[in-house]
Formats: sequence, structure tokens, C-alpha cells
Amino acid sequence: MTLQSQLEAYLTRIWETPARVTMIARIPGGASRETYRFDVEVGGETRGLILRRDPVGSLIDTERKLEFAAFRSFHGSGLPVPEGVALEEQGAELERPFFIMGRIDGGKAQSPFTVAPYGEHARTIGEQFYGHLGTIAAADPATLPIAQAAETPAPDACWKRELDYWEGVIDADEEHPQPIVRACIRRLRASPPPAARKLSVVHGDYRTGNFMHDGQGRIIALLDWEMAHIGDPLEDLGWAMEPLWCYGETDRVSGMLPREEAIAIWEAASGLTVDPAAFAWWELFASVKGQAIWTSSAKEFRAGGFKDPVLGLSGWYTARRQDVILADRLAALEALA
Amino acid sequence: MTPTVPELLLGNFLCLMDPPPPESSGDFLQSRIGVTGMISLLCAQEAERGIAARVWENGAIRDLLRRAAPTYGAAFAEAATDEDTDLSLAAMDRANADLRRALIDLHIAVEAARDAALDTEIRGLYVRMADARRLDLPPLPAG
Repeated sequence: MTLQSQLEAYLTRIWETPARVTMIARIPGGASRETYRFDVEVGGETRGLILRRDPVGSLIDTERKLEFAAFRSFHGSGLPVPEGVALEEQGAELERPFFIMGRIDGGKAQSPFTVAPYGEHARTIGEQFYGHLGTIAAADPATLPIAQAAETPAPDACWKRELDYWEGVIDADEEHPQPIVRACIRRLRASPPPAARKLSVVHGDYRTGNFMHDGQGRIIALLDWEMAHIGDPLEDLGWAMEPLWCYGETDRVSGMLPREEAIAIWEAASGLTVDPAAFAWWELFASVKGQAIWTSSAKEFRAGGFKDPVLGLSGWYTARRQDVILADRLAALEALA
Repeated sequence: MTPTVPELLLGNFLCLMDPPPPESSGDFLQSRIGVTGMISLLCAQEAERGIAARVWENGAIRDLLRRAAPTYGAAFAEAATDEDTDLSLAAMDRANADLRRALIDLHIAVEAARDAALDTEIRGLYVRMADARRLDLPPLPAG
């Protein structure tokens, strides 16, 4: 069966009415899941949808239930988040786990490897980008669907849970010794941050390239929630400002705004203040997390028979860029007392 | 360091060898071809600079291990006894893996001893190691 016919069979069954799928096309990017756009005709109406299906090999191991719950948590909240339509953890007619979400048309996502990705709209987009992130941080996760799918850590345990997880990923997937990231992990453990001042939904991959804009300065969709969890909101802010995501730029975070302006916008939207010492910890952690992801990419590239070039590029070129960032961050830390 | 150049170039071939299903043509295939081109471009850099980077890194780590051995133990000098005679990328990487493991052990010992001077030197070495292995992607225009 083709993917198109599998989708038609699935949608016809769950909607209990004939569904016809057209215009199905795989979308580049979304390396953690196979992503397809398609139209479905049902009951005389046509609707645009997105299919996110688990791949055979992946950049990261994530729970599609969490991603689906994140969409349900923020769709209709005032943030530009697509609607979660259907979730199948056992794969059903499509053989591998998947979910379907609403499609938002008329936008584009920029690669973080492009120069000045937002051109003349950088400031306007930056104001929305950091404002939306602050709005996510301000939400109470206990009142949202994600609380039914994600573990809620104690505020003083957020940092350790994340660091343990990502160090575990490196332990499991590393195929060549990495002294730089190992030294950074030891430094993080030696100087833990203070407890989270508030528990928030953490998007987990909030960065340049993971949202769509309309080309006129308006963000129309916040995407790629596959690493969503509950934790310290500074985690997302540190990841958003990771230097990897602003190619060749040193004076604007995310290729959008000066750092201090971005923090001020986030603080105003979240109602929180950024503790510089705590944030320094989360910024270094962001670079460690990045290296863990690229380490997994390299392993998956091999495990998958070298057939996914995105995994190969991530496990090689991106890993080396991340090492440069990590080494610079480590060198800038205070000397041992 | 993984993946290796032969693996990456083999992957470039394999991922385009099989005809894609209809839904994976169009933008997805175009993007995939673009990534394989990027990998080929960066592999050319690795072919030109990779051996020099590894010769330098292996030598720098051996030098550090030998100098640290009187204070931190003879095992570090023993880890630095070999020299690079096979200058293939694969052989250099095998030697590099052993040297990096010894460097990690040394850095842990240095931190435990609160040896600020050697810790700073090692962190400086990391900066130069990362820079020597850096790959340069040409600026890509925003779409």
C-alpha cells in the first residue's frame, strides 16, 4: 500500500466517513520524524493537514505523545500553534507511530545556516519570537494537557534531570572520545544552578528554523515540539540563544535582536526575571545538549546504513561547530579556585 | 571523529541510488540533493586539512601528557609513547581516540588536584583542537 492509501484507510476508519487524500508530499527538515503535508477531502470539504510519523532512524528519541500534548496545550491559546488532530502510538494503518496536526499555510521556516535569515524583518520577528517564548514560560503547566503526558519535576531537580538525560545520551551513543563536552559536563555538575523559580512548559527546541513566518514580519506557526517537557523556563531561553542558531552573527541572538533586548522582551512576557548566574549555567547546558544530539546523529547515520545525509551532516559538521562553541564557553569560565 | 569521510561520501551515493516514493520527490528530494552537495563540499575541506589537524592534535596531546606525567603519573607518559607513522585518516583517528581518553583522564585528575594552571592550559588546548577541526560552510543566502 502507498502512504496515500494507508492514510485514506486510517482517516476513513476514525472519521467513519470516506476520506480522500491528495497532494501528499514529504517536507524537508523535521529530522526527528518524517513529515508530510497533504490535503484530505471529507464530507465535501478539503482540509490541509500535516502527518508526523516516526522514522526508522532519528536525530533524537522523543515521545510523540508529548509533542501531541504540547500542540493541544497551546493551540487556541493566542499563540500560533497548530491543532493536534489525531495520535496513534501503535502505528495503526501507517505501521509506525504517528500523529496528525493541522497545517498552517503561507509561511516559511529559515535554516539557521543562512546569513541574516530574516532580513529587514529581523527585529519584528525577534520581538514576537522572544515574546511568544515568554508567554509559554508564563503558562501554568499543571492546567494544560501536557501535564497528563509529562513528568513534573521538583524545581530544584530540573537541572539534574536534564543533565543526567543528555549525558546518558552521550554515554550511549558516543563513538569517539569527546574531551571538550565531557569537561563542560563536569563543570556543570560542579556548579549547579539555583532551583527553578517557576515550573514551565519547556518547548525543548525553540530556535531559529523551528517556526514559520509569513515573509512580512509575522510569525504564523511555532513548530517542532518533539522535545517538550516541564522544567526550568531558562532552559528554553538558553537554547534559543545558543550561538549555533545565529550563523556568523555575534551582535544579535538568533539572528534577530541584541541579547539584552531579547531578554527584556522575554522577561516582560513571562513575568520572570533572569538570574545571570543561573542563565549562564543553562547556556552552557544548551551547548552540551546540542553536542549530545549531534552525537546521536552520528550513531544513527551509521546504524541506518549512511542513507540519511541530514544525520551525517549533523553528526559531523554541526558537531564540530558545537565543539568550537563549547571550547570557547569553557575557556571563558573562571579558573579553578 | 565520526562520521568519516568515506562513510559520508558512501552515504551521498546510497541515499540517491534508490528512486524515492512519489511523496518524497519535489522539495524533499531537492533538499536532500542540496545536503549531499554540502557534504561533498565539506569533505573536500576535510581531505585538504584533516591530516594536518590530526597530526597537530595528536602531537599536542602527547606533549601535554608527557609533561604532566611527573606530577600525575607515569601512565600518562606511557599513553604518549607511540608516534604517528600511518598518516591515513583512519589510523590517525584510532591513535587520536586513545590519546583523547588519556587527556580526559588527565583533565579529571587536574581538576581533582585544583591545578588551576594546568586546567587553564588544557582548556586552551581544547579551543585550538576545536578550531583545527573546524569546517567552513560558505554563507548560504536566506530563501
